[in-house]
Amino acid sequence: MGRLLQQVLLFAAAALLRLILFLVFPSLPDFFTGRVEVSTPVTSFKRLQEGLFLYTRNVSPYDGGVFYQPPLLLTLFSFIPDSIFTTVTALLYIGLDLASAQALIEIADSKLSGHELFYKSPRRHSRWGSLAVAAAFLFNPLTVISCLGRPTSIFSNYAILLAISKAIQGKTGNAIIALSMAAYQSMYPAILLLPLLLLAHDVSTQGIIGTDTGFLVRHAALFFGAISALFGLSYLVTGSWEFFASTYGNQLLLVDLTPNIGLWWYFFIEMFDSFREFFLGVFWLHLLSYVGGLSVRLRTQPLFVTITMVGLIAVFIPYPSISNASIYLGLFPLYKHIFPLMRTTFIYTTALLYSIVLGPAFYYLWIYAGSGNANFFYAITLVWGLGFSLLIGDSIWATLRDEWEVTRPEMKDKPIRQI
Amino acid sequence: MLPTLFCFLVLSLLTSSCYALSDYSEQLVLQPLVPASVLASFNFRSNASQSSYNQQHFQYFPRSLGQILQHAHAKELHLRFSSGRWDAESWGNRPWNGTKEGGTGVEIWTWIDASSEEEALMQWNTLNNALAGLFCASMNFIDSTRTSRPLSTFEPLGNHNSGSNLHLFHGALTREVVCTENLTPFLKLLPCKGKVGIASLLDGHKLFDATWQTMSIDVQPVCPADQSGCVMEIEQTIDMVLDIDRSKRPRGDPIPRPLPDDRLICDQNRQYPDENSCYPLDLSAAQDLTLKDLFGRSIQGSCLSPADSTYPVCVAASNSLEVYTTNALAEYKATSGYLRCLALPEKDEFELLIPKQDHARFLPVSTPPIYVERSITGRGQERGGIRVLLRNPSPTHNVSFVYFEALPWFMKPYMHTLKTSIPNTIDEMYYRPGLDRKRGSQLELAITVPANQILELSYDFEKAILRYTEYPPDANRGRDVAPAVIRIVNATTNTSEHVGVAAYLRTTPLMLPLPTPDFSMPYNVIILTSTVIALAFGTIYNMLIRQFVGADEATSEGLKGKIIVALVSVRNKIRDSLSPVATTGPEREKKNI
Repeated sequence: MGRLLQQVLLFAAAALLRLILFLVFPSLPDFFTGRVEVSTPVTSFKRLQEGLFLYTRNVSPYDGGVFYQPPLLLTLFSFIPDSIFTTVTALLYIGLDLASAQALIEIADSKLSGHELFYKSPRRHSRWGSLAVAAAFLFNPLTVISCLGRPTSIFSNYAILLAISKAIQGKTGNAIIALSMAAYQSMYPAILLLPLLLLAHDVSTQGIIGTDTGFLVRHAALFFGAISALFGLSYLVTGSWEFFASTYGNQLLLVDLTPNIGLWWYFFIEMFDSFREFFLGVFWLHLLSYVGGLSVRLRTQPLFVTITMVGLIAVFIPYPSISNASIYLGLFPLYKHIFPLMRTTFIYTTALLYSIVLGPAFYYLWIYAGSGNANFFYAITLVWGLGFSLLIGDSIWATLRDEWEVTRPEMKDKPIRQI
Repeated sequence: MLPTLFCFLVLSLLTSSCYALSDYSEQLVLQPLVPASVLASFNFRSNASQSSYNQQHFQYFPRSLGQILQHAHAKELHLRFSSGRWDAESWGNRPWNGTKEGGTGVEIWTWIDASSEEEALMQWNTLNNALAGLFCASMNFIDSTRTSRPLSTFEPLGNHNSGSNLHLFHGALTREVVCTENLTPFLKLLPCKGKVGIASLLDGHKLFDATWQTMSIDVQPVCPADQSGCVMEIEQTIDMVLDIDRSKRPRGDPIPRPLPDDRLICDQNRQYPDENSCYPLDLSAAQDLTLKDLFGRSIQGSCLSPADSTYPVCVAASNSLEVYTTNALAEYKATSGYLRCLALPEKDEFELLIPKQDHARFLPVSTPPIYVERSITGRGQERGGIRVLLRNPSPTHNVSFVYFEALPWFMKPYMHTLKTSIPNTIDEMYYRPGLDRKRGSQLELAITVPANQILELSYDFEKAILRYTEYPPDANRGRDVAPAVIRIVNATTNTSEHVGVAAYLRTTPLMLPLPTPDFSMPYNVIILTSTVIALAFGTIYNMLIRQFVGADEATSEGLKGKIIVALVSVRNKIRDSLSPVATTGPEREKKNI
């Protein structure tokens, strides 16, 4: 069958699956919206509805402790009339999933994952087809559950994928604007600016060695300009700057400590007040510290660095959810060629499966049954965080080894060490 | 009907002795309630002329309170200490129409004269801290998280001059347990300090054992119509509903015991399988009571000068009710036939006896304008819902009221889920969302319930998880949510002289269980999370900064390396000699790390 027909069928199947779940189980979307693994205080759909309710009645939603999302989302959703709100939002989120899959197909089609401009992996011919990668993303249970739960992180996921695919196609301006929209919605995609700029730079200079700093500076300025424009628009929409403290201030200072699958909430619950600022600084610094090292060491593979940073974001941000994990798991199959080089696959696969199964159970025991305490769920978040970071670490090791084997081809399939 | 009777009769009695200028008056009204309770309502009123108040010449007005109010620029103060629950189904309308009732714990609302918001807030803090010291109550905990600014629930009752810039503050401390240490300063504010007069009946053991009790203090400027000059009036009220059976239990032996067999009277309308079963009739229905039974003591003398011809002790029941007193005293019977008041002897003890009589001689139970019940729905410690049932008992009149609720900040309501069972009953809504750790949410609804209908109001909320240090010592008890205040805007009573008097109701408080972390774990959490982060960071950092070499190309360093090299070579030799096929190849591979 033609490639286009296959793609259409794939998208139709994915859309049909989601539509069936939306229509046949009408209480399922609200069930998922209520789960802490899917919704966080900064992405929850129920809080968006509350913010919308206040916004349409001229009460500032940022003057309260419920709504922590940026204003342009409110304007976007306020166009939808109340009577068809649930239907239109369902269709919107299904559309976003399909658009993300389309961007993923474009990234896979470019075959850049093993064959970047400055680096050609000796294993680059071992890859999965683009449609297989898109199918793995669309039919991943985490993705489907995120779509049903409708967190607003789906918007930044789509924007990140769009930014990567546009950068690969050489449309750097579009890529930067997409990234700025992702960073506007939640702060973390701003970390992807450096690797994405390097990727765009490599694509646009077509493999000519040498760093055009002018390119980097220009597009970084474009990024900051786009973000400022978005802030200005938000100011016009809400009439004041109080959304700043409420959206970004809350994430920087961790005002809301609702449990989620991340590592921050329990740490900052159990902490004494005099150490709060110190540890907030340490945690943010830790998250920022990966970009520089990875970008410098893996300068020749900026796409890999971008994808790895997406994965690290999924573990170490204050309010992660499974939608962050699902975007990394969607991008990860692009690197099939390094799978044979990974060493401890069994450990982190089982750790992730273990935490997916036991997490909801232990949360239920703590909150509803009252027979477990918070430590159970906290332990699961530790296992999840550890498993995910081991996965990322292993992929980095495999990529580094793959890179090294270009210089030492005789060491293929031989055990090596690091010193 | 009864509460309007109260106001009307108290006013009329006091006008008989030049109300506008009398500096001090007190009144006790005893009303027997069905089946065997008594509502005792103590009212003490003192005046000070505005000029003497401003110059700090205090005679009957308590100096301690007056100076606090002047320091905090509080022009009008309403302070309530309450406990228990008013059973509207059995007892009817609240005394004083609910205007002297407060929510469980401490409730305070005041109008502060200040030129700006910040200054008013500071004065409010000063006032709370000073009153906390005066009344031995933890009112210093009424900070910004427990303060709200209601719009239409409270109106100033005094006559304030139009030039003043008044700010209304409302604070509630539901967790406060009201007890004798709050009663003693209350009595110290009285001119006779609770030693003589009706205040001599008040005892902490009996008052705080009551089914429902409220102590209230109202201070406001009053300018009477006859232009005789404005006065600063303080009105102190203690209302309590005492269960007669319970009060009669001796203090040394307060355990309730069942009646002995010979005094047990069984319900004859039921079937009994044998002689040893009995459904006892509720014989507490009729009890006789004396002041000594109820209060543990009798009234010692009178606090009023004998020149004032007042009748401080009243019994609110039908005139056919038999009441006996120790001394033959002057009596005043009201024209309505439902109140009689007695004078007190100046120095002797005064005792009162109401023998057990038919309920028909009690005051008829009045129907309150609305019945309200509020509860939390849902399960689990993540989210819940609030459900309020508002029942209008009147068959002909609609009832309009303002429903005011101040929720703590860790209870995050979702107003888009607010639902009413009858459409178009909410006339207006004012909602101010709360800010984490700064202020709570405030909800005011103007509602009209049609005649004979039950309105169910419900909305969802989410519970927040608090920081380690923000939990109270008994964290699993939960936190308290202040009662909702309902202000009836149009009363269904048909007495025309009290159209302007608002009626108030309050719901019971709520207990909100919050999710708790494990309190024994702060160190463990820090080290475990840091370990995970260190593992992730360390692994990636090591990978990035090290170089690759073949496993055998690396030189083993140090003693450990030498031992490992020796052991591995011994193992290889053994393996070589044991294996049947000699392997060729110039290099032996070491296990990779």
